Amino acid sequence: MSEVVKKPGKIIIPSDQVYLQELDEFLEETLRNFSMAEGDIADVAISVTELVNNAIVHGNASDPDKMVDVEMILKDSSVEITVTDEGDGIDLSDIPDPLSDENILKETGRGIFIVRSLMDEVDITAGKDGGTVVRLVKKFDPVK
Amino acid sequence: MKLTHREVDGIMILEPRGKIMGGPDATLLHDQLHDFIKENKKKVVINLAKVDWMNSTGLGILISGLTTMKNNGGELKLANVTEKIESLLTITKLITVFENYDSLDEAIKSFS
Repeated sequence: MSEVVKKPGKIIIPSDQVYLQELDEFLEETLRNFSMAEGDIADVAISVTELVNNAIVHGNASDPDKMVDVEMILKDSSVEITVTDEGDGIDLSDIPDPLSDENILKETGRGIFIVRSLMDEVDITAGKDGGTVVRLVKKFDPVK
Repeated sequence: MKLTHREVDGIMILEPRGKIMGGPDATLLHDQLHDFIKENKKKVVINLAKVDWMNSTGLGILISGLTTMKNNGGELKLANVTEKIESLLTITKLITVFENYDSLDEAIKSFS
């Protein structure tokens, strides 16, 4: 089984939910180094754990030999994050409206909706070599 | 997430701590609620005061808890919802689904 790889601004994890905690700790430490406020850090951590959870379960079908790659780049007063999996891609038309009466009590199906509400930009595209690439941008005022 | 529980005046208080983001978190609360049901303890408050944030997995866990208790003739209410979680409950309209109290005392009294 593969292992977690960490580099500055980048973490690559095997497709197992046990690594979500380690991912969150890495994210929060990196974002604090970017002088991001705690509320903004929480928004990013919620969104990225959401997407990585999707990538593990739906993208990579929990195959521990497939990896999820998370990269964070600081750009002026925003952070750009990309989450890339090695799965077969997702069909966004398959995602039902989580606010409709028939879906309100469903336990799943809110992830992308929440990410779109917390982030300033969300782009979901097919990767060059397969998989799904989700690009997020969160604007923020650095903590003095 | 860490999960503890205690009983106050016949009401079961569940107290998660940390962040609820998926993985092992999902089964912890589910299993505890089923233990309560087996013991015929069907009035439950989840005290969220020590939960920093949750993602959609966490919201799914709360919904699962609510429906599990209702389907077994019980009740599940929330107390001390933090600002970040209240904002998620609002944007997902789940704020309309849960009984939500500003303090644990208010949540406990609401059962009487």
